[in-house]
Amino acid sequence: MKWLELLTVAGTTLVSAVTVVVLYSLGVRLTAIAGDAEQASPRAKRYFAYTCFGLCGVAVLFGLYLIIPYFSK
Amino acid sequence: MVALVIALALFFDFTNGFHDTANAMATPIATGAIKPKTAVTLAAILNLVGAFLSTEVAKTVSGGIIREGSDGVQITPDIIFAGLMGAILWNMITWLKGLPSSSSHALFGGLIGAAIAGIGFNSVNLETLLQKVILPAIFAPLIAGLVAYLCTRLAYALTSRHDPETGSKLTQKRGGFRTGQIFTSSLVALAHGTNDAQKTMGIITLVLISAGTQAPGSGPQFWVITACAVAIAVGTYVGGWRIIRTMGSGLTEVKPAQGFAAETSTASAILASSHLGFALSTTQVASGSVIGSGMGRKGTTVRWNMVGKIALGWLFTLPAAGIVGALTALLVKTGVVGVVIAAVAGTTAVLFMFFYSRKSSVGHHNAVEVEEAGHAVRFAKKKALARARARANQQKDAARANQQKDAATADQPNDAAQANQQKDAQL
Repeated sequence: MKWLELLTVAGTTLVSAVTVVVLYSLGVRLTAIAGDAEQASPRAKRYFAYTCFGLCGVAVLFGLYLIIPYFSK
Repeated sequence: MVALVIALALFFDFTNGFHDTANAMATPIATGAIKPKTAVTLAAILNLVGAFLSTEVAKTVSGGIIREGSDGVQITPDIIFAGLMGAILWNMITWLKGLPSSSSHALFGGLIGAAIAGIGFNSVNLETLLQKVILPAIFAPLIAGLVAYLCTRLAYALTSRHDPETGSKLTQKRGGFRTGQIFTSSLVALAHGTNDAQKTMGIITLVLISAGTQAPGSGPQFWVITACAVAIAVGTYVGGWRIIRTMGSGLTEVKPAQGFAAETSTASAILASSHLGFALSTTQVASGSVIGSGMGRKGTTVRWNMVGKIALGWLFTLPAAGIVGALTALLVKTGVVGVVIAAVAGTTAVLFMFFYSRKSSVGHHNAVEVEEAGHAVRFAKKKALARARARANQQKDAARANQQKDAATADQPNDAAQANQQKDAQL
């Protein structure tokens, strides 16, 4: 039986999905905070938000990079 | 025969495409992140791209269940023809019912049935069957559902905003997830392309090898890849609106954050599984994710009877496609006449189902109540309600005024009558 492979798949799925969701959610949260009127430094928060979205994108692209055999050759 | 099988395989690819549009695009359509037409176009393009990305799966997916090679039996194009027939018919039936069932299971079922009828029981490798089909069928929705549940929980926990002093809820501002859904659903479409288009590539390659036109053990040829990619893209573009309706609103109500979590889990599960050698069914992963995300958000109900219906559909997929495959295999065994009969019967059945579906057409216009449309409708309703209420009030006022008037006019004669009576009495 391929229990090990099953576990790997489950683990990879969990890790990658959680990474993407956490980063994106943080981005959303920070954007929301930056949009608040009484914020002290909305600009910094907005940049943090963009960084989160960017990291999220990078995580996805890295995943694709691992998968597509054209790159990993 | 080879040409017929290739045509049939491409048609299967087409049904696979429109059957599985829902996996990628049901949730963004349901939350209103993408307009339905745009969504299927995007999905079609990404399926096309995905099909070209990798051909790793094509080599592994369909192999092994039926004993091939020198120690086993030789798969003939006849068997593949029969198997494809079973798979296509089952795909059409589930589409008609709006059930998201696994196209790969239909394919496996058809092939197994055809092999049993055409060659015999010993042609099926039971251990591989258990390993490649039955266990993944149990674990795919479980893994995806669990991950989607966790992701939904996380997404909501991270973005829930409360006023630190009063503890009352602030505006949550989760609109960003709707934009994110465009990317995640694209990722699912891409994953579907890399995963499912390759099954057909594998089949066609198998036919070519068994017919002796291609060297055994070689990968799919370029024209095969192109044909499969185009077939699945066209199928996706046509869109299985019935299944989109089931996935988008039949299982649970989907909010953008949930949709985002569900799609991320689906995409990562499919991509991880197909590249780590434990193939999971796209449809089962996607359905599991949607259910999991439904359980992850407070106050969302999962329609369990619909889930039960779908699970029942999954149970039947393998045997049902197998039976059709077996019957076709028996017909094909009788010779050329049998092949012709099978082909004609199959085409008739598909056409019949197509025309039957026309009766109660589900298109992009009514697949899912798009949220924006929902707002508009509710808005209009509110307005209409207000207007109606105003009108009712006016009427009521008018009626009251009339009544008063009536009463007044009625009183007068009464008074007069009374007065008359009094007068009479006095007299």
